[in-house]
Amino acid sequence: MPSANPVERVTNLLLVLLDTPRPLSLRELTEQVPGYPEVGSEAARQCFSRDKAMLLSQGVPVETLDIDSDEQKGYRVDPEKYYLPDLGLEPDEQAALNLAVAAVHLGEPTGHHALAKLGVNTGRTSSGPAEAVVGLAPMGDVPALPELFDTIRNKATATFTYKNEKRSVDVAAIRFHGGYWYAIGWDRNRDAPRTFRVDRITSKVGAGANGSAEVPEDFDPVDAFAGEPWAFGDGERIEVDVAVDAAEATRVTTELGPDAVIEVAESGDIVVRMEVTDVEALISWVLGFLEHAEVLRPLEVRNAVISRLEAFATSGGAT
Amino acid sequence: MSPMPTPTPDRLRRLLSMLNWLAQEGDASIDEMATRFDLTPSELVAELEMAACCGVPPYSPDQLLEIMVTDEGVVGRLGRSHARPRRMNSSEGFALAAACRALLAVPGSDPDGALSRALVKLDRALGDVKVTIDLDSPDYLGLLREALSTHRKVRIAYYSAAANEMSERTVVPHRIFTSEGHWYLDAWCEDVEDTRRFRLDRMATADLAATFDPSDPTALPGDGGAGDEVPVQAFVPGPDTRTVTIAADPATEWLFETIPAATRVSEDGDRRVWEVHVGGDAWLERLLLRLGPASAVVEPAEDASLAAKAATTILDRYRT
Repeated sequence: MPSANPVERVTNLLLVLLDTPRPLSLRELTEQVPGYPEVGSEAARQCFSRDKAMLLSQGVPVETLDIDSDEQKGYRVDPEKYYLPDLGLEPDEQAALNLAVAAVHLGEPTGHHALAKLGVNTGRTSSGPAEAVVGLAPMGDVPALPELFDTIRNKATATFTYKNEKRSVDVAAIRFHGGYWYAIGWDRNRDAPRTFRVDRITSKVGAGANGSAEVPEDFDPVDAFAGEPWAFGDGERIEVDVAVDAAEATRVTTELGPDAVIEVAESGDIVVRMEVTDVEALISWVLGFLEHAEVLRPLEVRNAVISRLEAFATSGGAT
Repeated sequence: MSPMPTPTPDRLRRLLSMLNWLAQEGDASIDEMATRFDLTPSELVAELEMAACCGVPPYSPDQLLEIMVTDEGVVGRLGRSHARPRRMNSSEGFALAAACRALLAVPGSDPDGALSRALVKLDRALGDVKVTIDLDSPDYLGLLREALSTHRKVRIAYYSAAANEMSERTVVPHRIFTSEGHWYLDAWCEDVEDTRRFRLDRMATADLAATFDPSDPTALPGDGGAGDEVPVQAFVPGPDTRTVTIAADPATEWLFETIPAATRVSEDGDRRVWEVHVGGDAWLERLLLRLGPASAVVEPAEDASLAAKAATTILDRYRT
């Protein structure tokens, strides 16, 4: 019963792959599953290859195994890897997941697809606008995100290009902070913890073999995280005190956290203490507050700000 | 009915979800199932009839998916495994993990609520996925949410970064959202009689004021007629926005990438030329100072001296 319908062909292929106790060769599969071009033809091979890629992209764990035959490769899907254990979600928990997926924007409808696969009741909710709505940087703008996520799931070393340099990293965690996604992990070349802005990864993420990642036992992604631009450098760590006017005090306290505030004046003006490894980044941040912020100490950072300002003042804006 | 055929991967995904759901339910009415999967009843029946021909060799009736479509509805005898949850692809796994954690990261969410319990179950089945979401917790978030739910106006002291000045305003809150790392309030501002977007971390003070009538037109979110669609973009070009052209060092590209609506227009020698939408002088001053003295305004000419002017004002602070 040849079939021109690709959905029917791929559905049959999946059912056959799930049903077989031993890996089946390309020849066997294209013989048994209706709808493939002539068995043994190049067209049949290409067609199977596309179908397999489609199943993989949807999360179906199609395994490619060595078999004792002329064709050498066999394929199957282990039902224990394809099906998850029953999650036992209560109705209110299913509703909460639906609300989360609806209220958090990171490139729909991926989250809804996830819930459908988990068998969560994803009926159209008429719940109206959520009380708070969260917009994370959309996944479509950060294609490396799911790839990095996979390297964590598979404990595989990730390779990618970052600042024009090939990096090799055992990623331990992904974190959203201050509007950006970061990957935190163990840099194999530098043999040290490193934090990467995911949107600045300029290549596809390659993955080593499953289990190839070796994050040190005592590695703590929370400690290792360097998310603020001025803590992102390779420079020596120095403490910098910055005075901030009341007008911008709320913003700075929200950004740095209340622990950074070392002085509060009655006027609402504050002084914050910051740990800095990239002075250029700090200066850029401070200048963003115009006359509402001032580096107090150390003197060399204060003087660096003054010389930067003098360079502007004397340039007169000429191009 | 539908002029555009659904792409094969999407049809496959939908079909597998339909089988999953039917295996759990056992039976369903055609209309209910069609609505659930966003199909017309006839489209649904066609998909189910196709699925009923799928199975494993020798494709004898006992080896096909047992799906019966009658006038009364759909009956599926699909066995236990088809009812089980299925493995997600990496995008789906990530999207779900991030969505749950993001909503739990909203200050004030219930750490023992249904979502937390669901997440524990997900982690148990999928493994701990090591995704963390940090959301700011600005001072007045709780107060503004209370104002929204109890229909109270809010009196705020607000620092406008675009104008570099403080102002006092009375606003009718429409909605709160977080985007690009900051919390925002969309509200009707009684002082300018128009809708405005405010950043929560620029509110120096906020106090509950008089109640408002939620059926009043000014109480309804109204920008662009988007209804309940929530703006994911934080930047809305206002009526006073102007376009400024800037030539900058290529090393500052990252800074432009953080600016919504910045477009690279050309290269000028070893400098890149960008167009940005500017809502106020102070905003442009900040940008120019952060870019460094090697960058400069190309157009309009009257903005060319802004950075020097701002630098002089700041220097006064350092010299006193």
